[in-house]
Amino acid sequence: MGLLNFTRDPVPEAVSGDMHNLNQLSAQQFSALTEVLFRFLTEPKEVERFLTQLSDFATMNKISLGPLKNIVKSILLVPNGALKRNLSSEQVRADFIALGLSEEKASYFAEQWKVNSPTLTRLAVGQTLMINQLIDMEWKFGVTAGSSELEKVGSIFLQLKLVIKKGSRLENVYVELTLPQFYSFLHEMERVKTSLESFS
Amino acid sequence: MAALRDGDFVALQILLKAPSKDAVRQLCQECFSSPPAALGPLAQRACPGLAVSAEEAEQLVSALHNLTRHVVYRGLTRAEDILCLFPENFHQNLKNLLTKIILENISAWRNEAQASQISLPRLVDMDWRVDIKTSSDSIVRMAVPTCLLQLKIQEDAALCGNNPVVSALTVELSKETLDTMLEGLGRIRDQLSAVANK
Repeated sequence: MGLLNFTRDPVPEAVSGDMHNLNQLSAQQFSALTEVLFRFLTEPKEVERFLTQLSDFATMNKISLGPLKNIVKSILLVPNGALKRNLSSEQVRADFIALGLSEEKASYFAEQWKVNSPTLTRLAVGQTLMINQLIDMEWKFGVTAGSSELEKVGSIFLQLKLVIKKGSRLENVYVELTLPQFYSFLHEMERVKTSLESFS
Repeated sequence: MAALRDGDFVALQILLKAPSKDAVRQLCQECFSSPPAALGPLAQRACPGLAVSAEEAEQLVSALHNLTRHVVYRGLTRAEDILCLFPENFHQNLKNLLTKIILENISAWRNEAQASQISLPRLVDMDWRVDIKTSSDSIVRMAVPTCLLQLKIQEDAALCGNNPVVSALTVELSKETLDTMLEGLGRIRDQLSAVANK
């Protein structure tokens, strides 16, 4: 086996056996399995659904679930590596062929890869580490009518609640701003937007 | 915030023993700014200058505190309104002096009261920077701009006294989050204009 695009590490031995088994599937069966796989890749949180669909596929096509899961594990190595390395569909196709998958099936999978890769790339970028990510912002503003020190006040206040993701938990931060501070904050945020847009 | 009591005006006449008008002015300012808990020590410091007993000093300081805070609370700005507060038989010159001193300070005192009122933690400063993420463990090559926003937040001034606690919070925003935030801020601005134009 020549150099692979999707990984630099040696591929587990079981993979060529799994590819051989895959080749035994009809075009229709392969297409159905590919669909299940991509649905999972684009929605990685739906683990239950993925396992159910695999189990249904196994039953319908009279394949044992155990071997099927191994095959799926082997197939998934390629798209995961391809995503990391921004591989083209050509490279994905070449890798599958190098692993032992038939040309026809490799081309089909590569085609599906091309269709799904913008979504998958967006997902991978979205998974990138963010420090104290701002999840949500709630606000209210009003007028301070009076206080224990001043019977009549009549000044405007603005309160923000920022919901921040710290590690795996959410934290709420409450901040109060005066009116001039609010306008200054708004002005700065507009400058940030201009800056971000110039880099996009 | 205590209300004015009759005994207060009796105590205020102790000021007639003050060495100078400036001494009275100084004492008025200190009495206004001092929180009720710190009036005791303030009275002790004022004692020698006024040549009165400790008890009389305490009554005076408390009375001045109540008078100045009362005027600020009610938002009185005219000399007549302040003069009205004093009883008929109160020393005429002292009454005029106190009224004059209060009028000189009223606006600064009002600002002081507003600055120290209770509130949620306040924003004192903000800084930002824009980064471009070029690589991560989930994707080896990318060019994703992101914004880091640092907010300096000060805890409620009343709780911290003279040592306000300022914490810095750094928050990361993606472009999408920023756009949503700007939308929200824009809506606030529009509503503020609507309120201002009413």
